[in-house]
Formats: sequence, C-alpha cells, structure tokens
Amino acid sequence: MNSLVLLNGSPRGERSNSMKMLARVAEGWVRGGGQEPEVLHLAHRTGFARAVKAFAQADTVILAMPLYTDSMPALVKSYIEALQPRTAMAEGENPALGFLVQSGFPEARHSRPLERYLEKLARRFGSRYAGTIVRGGGESLQMMPDCANEKLWARLRTLGEQLAREGRFGAEALRAVAGVERMSALTLALARLAVHLPIVNFYWNGMLKKSGAWQRRFAAPYAPPCKL
Amino acid sequence: MRITILNGDPDPSTAFQVYVHDFAQRLTAAGHSVTTLNLRELNLKGCSGCWGCWVKTPGECVKRDDSATVCRAAINADLLVLASPLTMGFTTALLKRSADQMIPLIHPYFVVDGGEIHHHARYAKYPKVGLLLGAGGDSDAEDCEITTEMWRRMARDLKSQLVFAAVSDRSAQEVADEFARVA
Repeated sequence: MNSLVLLNGSPRGERSNSMKMLARVAEGWVRGGGQEPEVLHLAHRTGFARAVKAFAQADTVILAMPLYTDSMPALVKSYIEALQPRTAMAEGENPALGFLVQSGFPEARHSRPLERYLEKLARRFGSRYAGTIVRGGGESLQMMPDCANEKLWARLRTLGEQLAREGRFGAEALRAVAGVERMSALTLALARLAVHLPIVNFYWNGMLKKSGAWQRRFAAPYAPPCKL
Repeated sequence: MRITILNGDPDPSTAFQVYVHDFAQRLTAAGHSVTTLNLRELNLKGCSGCWGCWVKTPGECVKRDDSATVCRAAINADLLVLASPLTMGFTTALLKRSADQMIPLIHPYFVVDGGEIHHHARYAKYPKVGLLLGAGGDSDAEDCEITTEMWRRMARDLKSQLVFAAVSDRSAQEVADEFARVA
C-alpha cells in the first residue's frame, strides 16, 4: 500500500493556513482509497527530525509551506538542506514529491518562481514529481470561519483524491485551486481605489487596535519614515 | 555610498568567505562605507509568522535577537548585498532566516504596484539590492536563474529593486566595480 507523509512547513505549526489546506488534501487522499497519512510539523524539533527520517521511508511526500518573502520559509530551507545526503540516491529510491505553496497575496503568480524551484528540487532527488498546489489569499483563512471556505476545501479534497488514484495532482484541478493568476486591468483599477478604503485593511486595523498599537502603526524605528 | 553586506555562509572556512572579504575590501578601497554582517555570528531566532512586527510593536520584531541590527543596517544602506553560497539550488537557510525577519521594514497595508498587490512602504528610502552567489557545489546556471528570480521579487517587496546578481566565479574586483556602477 502506498504510504503518504504530509509535512507542514509553516513556522506557525498546527494553527497554520498551510495545515488547514493540507488537512483537506489528506481527506481527499483517504476518500481516494489511500491509508491515513502521517502528518508532521517541521516547526517542532521532534517533527523536523522525524520528517528527515520519514523522507527515506515514505512512498509519497507532500511538503506544504507559506510563501515568506517570496520564497520558502527558512525552516523549510533548513529541512531541504538536511535532506542533502538523499540527492546521492539512485533514481526512484526517494519518494514521489508534491508541494503546496500558499501566500497572503491574492494572486497566485507571486508563488510561481518558488514552484519552479520545487519542481527542480524533485528532479534533484530523482523523485517523481506529483505537482505543486499554489493558492493565493491564504491569510483570509484566518479571518473567515472554516464553513466559508467550502469551495476551496472541496478543490483540495479533489486534489488529494487524484493523488491517491493517479499518483499526481491533475493540471485542471491545480488551475482551479490557484484562483486568480494575476489581476485584470479592471480589478487593478478597482484595487487602486479600494486600497484607500478602511475595509481593505480591516484585518490589520483590527489587530493594531486590539494591541493598542494603532497610533504607532507607521512607526519607523530605524530611519526616516515614508511620507503618507 | 553606504553598502551593507549580509553574509549568509554558515561555514567560516570556505573559499566563499575569502571571496566576500576580498569583495568588501575592494569596495572599501573604492571609497565606499562598507558594513559586513556575518549572519552566522548573530543570534537570529527566525520569523514565526506572528505579525507582531506589524500589529503589536510596529516596525520591530517582537523577538529579542539580533534581527534589529540586521534591519537597521539594511535600511540605512544605499546598497544591500545578499551574499550566500548555493546549497540545494538556493541561497542558505541562514540568509533566508535573516530575510524572513526583514518584514518589519515594510507595512502590512496593501498597495497596487506594477500590476500586482504588494505591501505599503514604512520608510522614506530603501536600499537597492544586489545578489552575490557562491559558485560551485551541485548548482548550475538554472539554479542561479531561479534563485535570482525569487530574490528579484523579494527586492520588489522591499520597495526596491534587484540591480545586480553575480556569481563568485568572476574576479572580486570585477564584481565590486560592477556593483558600485549600477547601485
């Protein structure tokens, strides 16, 4: 039986958006006939160590991460560096590899250079590449109740099911889950107006006010501040 | 010109260390004010995605570590040089750890920039960004290209631009001259 290990590379650990998404991929995998996958959090020392070992044993590994300053979080790069000895293995000795990259930016295109890196990473290991799930607007998962994201969860379950049945994510399902690749001229024009409305930044404003930091929100402790 | 070099090589005994040192000396000799931070000597706890630097202590990481030193040196430079060997096709986890902790330098609010959603500036001026990659290991030209692409986007998110990317298989003098010319 094909074993699956799900690696959550978010520094936030269990409470991360990456984990929320990964959990739905796992549900789809089981629905597609796969056995219950093992889930490991790289943010925990024991999870990280176990994940290095699990890479040598699993048939398939899905590594999920948030986009941090336009690439993988340092935590994920540390994990990749810990796997360096595995690049010396013969073709097919390493697990099939798939990835999930989610970002706070609304457009998927911010994550595409990282996707390209990950595809090449699979080649480095001589691994079969199962594909990369790219999804923008991830931070909205923290703002909305889970029931408001049913469409996204359904798409992620479909991807998990495809992984169980066909060994890879389907191209069409990957396109569907990515959402907006880049904004249209009209959306951009509206966004240019909307960024000045309080509603766009309500998430940040809410937290700033809650912590009593609202007055200091444009603080510039190290150099002259920007003009507003 | 004020130049800050972040050296992300975790190993103090490599040829790349010698190269970065040589590179810095040549920039100094050309009259620039150069600060090199060897990241391996700093205490960097890493970003855990708490948003504290945006909503609790705006502009500063909530963790007590040396990331403030890195941010201060970066924002007060005219040119920020990110120096790192390539391992597993990308710059080191050490360099990435310091970059992850640079988000206090920008603001959470959104803006439209170059046809995409990005973040608002926090400071009046941001350093131009240069990338200095260590040659060798198991990396090839494609790795350099993919790595450069990711840092080019990062520079944009730092309200700046990547003005130069070089690999250490060229002479330090030649690379230093080119960095100083474009920055």
